[in-house]
Amino acid sequence: MAEQLAQAVAERVVAIVMDAIDMDALIQRIDVDGVVNRVDVDKLIERVDVDKLVDRVDVEKLIERVDVQRIVERVDVKDVVDRIDIDALLEQTELGSIIARSTTGVASEVLDVIRAQGVGLDDFFARWVNRILRRPPESLPEGPPALVMTPARVPELTTGSG
Amino acid sequence: MTDPVTQGKPIEGRQGHYAGAVSRLVAFAADVGASWGLFTLGAAALDFSVQLASGGSFSLTGHPLASLLAVIVWEFFYFSYQWALSGKTIGMAVLGIRVVKTDGAPIGWSQAVARTITLPLSFLFLGLGFLGILVSRDRHALHDRLAGTAVVYSWDARAARLRWLAKQDPTAPSI
Repeated sequence: MAEQLAQAVAERVVAIVMDAIDMDALIQRIDVDGVVNRVDVDKLIERVDVDKLVDRVDVEKLIERVDVQRIVERVDVKDVVDRIDIDALLEQTELGSIIARSTTGVASEVLDVIRAQGVGLDDFFARWVNRILRRPPESLPEGPPALVMTPARVPELTTGSG
Repeated sequence: MTDPVTQGKPIEGRQGHYAGAVSRLVAFAADVGASWGLFTLGAAALDFSVQLASGGSFSLTGHPLASLLAVIVWEFFYFSYQWALSGKTIGMAVLGIRVVKTDGAPIGWSQAVARTITLPLSFLFLGLGFLGILVSRDRHALHDRLAGTAVVYSWDARAARLRWLAKQDPTAPSI
């Protein structure tokens, strides 16, 4: 009987105390960083059953919610391509032989050389004309705006080691 | 070993840049040769057809005025049709250059025709109209300015380099 009374009193007291406490003020006084620092995250993770967690995730639904187009738009493809070491790629994969098999021919090689020589001579004459006219090459437009408009100058690959 | 395609120079990434005088001159020379060769072939085919149909012979050499007219019409067709169709002639395709509007957009029939009609003007006064390719800031010849066009590199040097690198691969089968 006394025990039941004590229980009832305790419940009532706790309820009154809880009502009286300003929870916001209490939370503000808690040092969250201190609490977090005391948590052993590794131990916590060890206790988590990741497989069970993953099983509960609806991947299909998750993928449907991802805006792939938006992600792709944010990728700087030019930067990605520039970071690829083409020489190493060709050395390590069969890509070289595939390209050789599909595109290399005497005609295309001759064309490449003719064009490269043409560009080389274009540059030679342009350099001399710029020198005579005393105008800095960087002040000249590289091409029509729609074709050369790039946010930043992409470093050009130099070729051949001599 | 030096890359024979690029001669060790950084020419990759030139697509869309204004083409220089040498590439354009060589392309034009190639076009003169190609158009003349095709014209001669066409004239011979016409002669042969007339011979087959009537038993007689037909040659343009005996008709200077008709020859001149035929050459003018043919050259007009040769350049304007190819420029309107793809922005490049046979010679330009060989040299990896093409004609675009001044803003870089592909040209249409109006620009192609205007460029073909104004091209002879650049030959006046010892080809003074072509000097702009060398000295103007945007490498425009006189007929480019009149027609509102520009000539740019369309050659993919990166692909050429890939082909050259592929050839260096000793495991690649010989073609």
